[in-house]
Amino acid sequence: MRRLFEEVSISTLSAAFIVVVALLVAGMGAHMWVELQNASASIRAREAAAGRKEISQATHALAQRMRDISANLAGWDETRQQLVFDEYYTLWRDVRLKDARIVPSGVVAAALYHKGGDILIPDREGRMPARLPAAPPILVHARESGHDYLYSYFPVHADPDRAVLLGYGAIKFDFLAEMRTVQSFRYTDISTLSVAVPGTGLVPLENLAARLKFSIKANPDVEALHKLFLHAYGRQLLATLLVLAVAAWFTHRVLVRPLRLMSEEIKALQSAGGTLPSAERLTGPVSVLELADVRRAFNDHQRRLAEMHRNLEQSNQDFYDQARRDALSGAFNRRAFEEDWLELGQVGHCRGCNLLLFDCDHFKAINDTYGHPVGDAVIVAIAACLRQALRAGDRLYRIGGDEFATMLRDTPLRMAEAIAERCLEHILVHDFQQYGVAEPVTISIGLAHADSEEGLSELQKQADLAMYTAKRPGNRKIVVYDESIGQVSALVANREVSLVFQAIRLPQLLEFRYQPIMRLPDPVAEYVEALARIRLDGELIGPAAIFPIVQARRLDSEFDLAVIAAIRRDLDLDLPALARGVSINISAPGLLNTKVIQALEALKAAYPARKVVIEITETALITQMGPAVQHIERLRLAGCLVALDDFGSGYSSLRYLAAMPVDLVKFDISLVHQLRQEGERPRKVVEDIARMVLNAGYELVAEGIETRELLDKVTEMGFSHAQGFYFSDSHGQPPAG
Amino acid sequence: MWRFCVLLLFMGMSVSASATPVTLPLDNGLTARANFAPGRPGKPAVLLLHGYLQTHDFPTIHRMFEALAGEGYTVLAPNLTLNVTHRRQSLACEAIHTHTIQGDSREISAWLHWLGARHRGPVALIGHSMGSVGLLAYLEAYPRGRVGKFIGISIVEGRLKHDESGRQDKLAEMRDRMAQNNRQPVTEQFSFCQKLTATPESLASYMQWSPEHILKAAHKLAVPIVFIMGSRDDRLGPGWTDRLLKTPARVHVVQGANHFMDGEHEFELLDLVLKELADL
Repeated sequence: MRRLFEEVSISTLSAAFIVVVALLVAGMGAHMWVELQNASASIRAREAAAGRKEISQATHALAQRMRDISANLAGWDETRQQLVFDEYYTLWRDVRLKDARIVPSGVVAAALYHKGGDILIPDREGRMPARLPAAPPILVHARESGHDYLYSYFPVHADPDRAVLLGYGAIKFDFLAEMRTVQSFRYTDISTLSVAVPGTGLVPLENLAARLKFSIKANPDVEALHKLFLHAYGRQLLATLLVLAVAAWFTHRVLVRPLRLMSEEIKALQSAGGTLPSAERLTGPVSVLELADVRRAFNDHQRRLAEMHRNLEQSNQDFYDQARRDALSGAFNRRAFEEDWLELGQVGHCRGCNLLLFDCDHFKAINDTYGHPVGDAVIVAIAACLRQALRAGDRLYRIGGDEFATMLRDTPLRMAEAIAERCLEHILVHDFQQYGVAEPVTISIGLAHADSEEGLSELQKQADLAMYTAKRPGNRKIVVYDESIGQVSALVANREVSLVFQAIRLPQLLEFRYQPIMRLPDPVAEYVEALARIRLDGELIGPAAIFPIVQARRLDSEFDLAVIAAIRRDLDLDLPALARGVSINISAPGLLNTKVIQALEALKAAYPARKVVIEITETALITQMGPAVQHIERLRLAGCLVALDDFGSGYSSLRYLAAMPVDLVKFDISLVHQLRQEGERPRKVVEDIARMVLNAGYELVAEGIETRELLDKVTEMGFSHAQGFYFSDSHGQPPAG
Repeated sequence: MWRFCVLLLFMGMSVSASATPVTLPLDNGLTARANFAPGRPGKPAVLLLHGYLQTHDFPTIHRMFEALAGEGYTVLAPNLTLNVTHRRQSLACEAIHTHTIQGDSREISAWLHWLGARHRGPVALIGHSMGSVGLLAYLEAYPRGRVGKFIGISIVEGRLKHDESGRQDKLAEMRDRMAQNNRQPVTEQFSFCQKLTATPESLASYMQWSPEHILKAAHKLAVPIVFIMGSRDDRLGPGWTDRLLKTPARVHVVQGANHFMDGEHEFELLDLVLKELADL
């Protein structure tokens, strides 16, 4: 019950109160009505008893009256006169008797009888019996022609001592008239009076009361009281209903509505996701002081809540923005990217959706070389350049350390490419030297385009692949994904990534194509370059697929260690290809990794008689030149030779050459192939560079020797070594013929 | 005044002590009633007769009965039956009157006969109003009775409301009815009755006692006759007392008394009656 009342609304309570009051009033009225009915019934019972008493008294009075009248008539001298001399009896009976008023007017008829019982003279109408019915005196009731009469038969004596009987007298009364005469009936409806007459037609008067049937008069006072009560109760009920209606309206206006509004406000506040209602809803005239105080306090509280809510919303918005903004660059972060990407997928509207991935080339090297403040400045500058290049409304996301992305909706591929070009140009023209970065800062852009929702799911992967493709040396810095890249994608699919990780964990999965490096001028194989690949279950994954994964996953050092371990394995197997020595490609991060250096030292120590060349790719930006030089020195001290790989294809080739104490310089295939060009200048440049390097005391290795003509050329130029398909196929085997 | 006190004393003593109701069966089958008070020996007897249609309970008669009884007289006050056996009440004017003055005389005779059996002295007849006329009628009908004196108090004839000139006509009409054996009662203004219902015979019997008839009887009867009249009796005909004074009868006029001699005049009446009885 208590819970029930706790959950009842004020509307229900007030309505219940009104109903209870109305029922109470109605109940009181009903109770009063019942009491009135009981009182009326009691009054009717008393009146019935009084009526019976009235009738009994009336019959007694009537009997006495009849006796008195009879005695009066019997004692009247003229009665005796007629009994003795009846000559004028008829006149006496019809005229004198009435005129003398010896008998009242209610006497219908009178007659005198001889002592023998015969009537003196019958009247014409036969109103009186011709003979006495019994020995007088008697009082009887008779029903004649449906009318009730009373008869009084009495003896008439000559003397007061009643010793001398002269005859008899009889008088006839109208019963009802006499009843009305003898008594005023307050309770009995005398008009309903009837007599249950036996077969004889005569009822002795003493038995008459028991045979009377009658109704009790409707009590006008009771009826008036009923009417008065009904009128009063009706007026009271009407007044009560009016009062209740006014009270209901007033209660609703003053209490219920304000409370309900407040309750609704509170419920709205409690509901999940409910918005703060307007406090003005509770304004208006309120008559209840306490309620006004509560409402005022509630309004104040609500205003404060609204203000808090606005602050919270602002804070939430700030938090939301902060949570979705990259604090450094001001671009949206990866979370925002993922949410927007999810929203894009949920919307499902993808006609001309483009995903552009931006990746700063060699950012880690820049960061490591110039420090984090410079790296941060580069990131901020890249972000600013990209935002400037993007259209208004295009969102720029920083989804990784140096990776940015943007989604271009409803944009044709051509326009997306133009935007990508603009981004690239903004980066190229930006002066990064202001941050102390000497090297040019470039970005690689992968663009994937989809014209339908079906292509949306692959868009990220495609853009990723395109971006990785763009990062590869010699490729355009903007790569639009197409099916050819899709083939590569198979290599960088999850399975391939897994294989790279497995190879790092299990170096036995690594295989090498040992490409011979020939000593010139008479090409003699002096040692081999180990070109890594991964084989698993008959499937072979080459360097073109491996190294983007390694670089993307920052697995350079780990992969270098795996390669070293695998080469050690092959050395231990005493493979013939490794009889004279081996050249191992080490990544820039690997050069800086002590474990890698130690592994190389250990390898050299294990095979001191064999030539071990450490190739450091020139395309990888060596940021920490000092430690790199130290490690090179350690390797050289251990007996290793150090070669600068891919010279002429990457960053500051000459700076590297000048800074690093390498033994060999491997001209990149692109540089070597310049020698095949018909133009004089390119070939001259290459020749001059080669001469310069040779003059500096380095040995030169020409990569990409595919023809005898090219071999002769490099031999002529003084290259000490050469390698290429001219000497072996892609599998490291000597070419046929 | 002392007589008044003595009278009151006697009245108080005698009402219950001396008055005895008596009845008298008559020849016509009726029974007459009377009050009787036996007196002291040596005192004359008195028959007191009430007026027209009255009884011995009429105040004038009643007071007189009591006074005379108190004086030691044997007093008999009959109720004329008026053809009503055991009559106890005055007979209403509207009653059917069949009685006649002759029948009244017969009843007076019967009572005197009854009285003679109980009193052997002289008898005085005292009547009031028309009772005096009835006694005159008795005296006229029975001249040889033993009546020693007749005292008529406020004697008056049965007066018609018409003037006396119409009496003979009305009397003739009644006799004519009687002659035709028409016994249908008639209604007339007679005596004190505005509407007297009586048979022609009855009415005629009383009407025949006209003032002249009374005066003639006063002249003719041998019995000493005394009339006691009130000076203020308004029921009398004009000059009636004067006409009585012209008769041989001794006439006493009570000054200031009316027809009923009530009030203080009843004592003077009593004095006069006692005085008249004293010499009987």
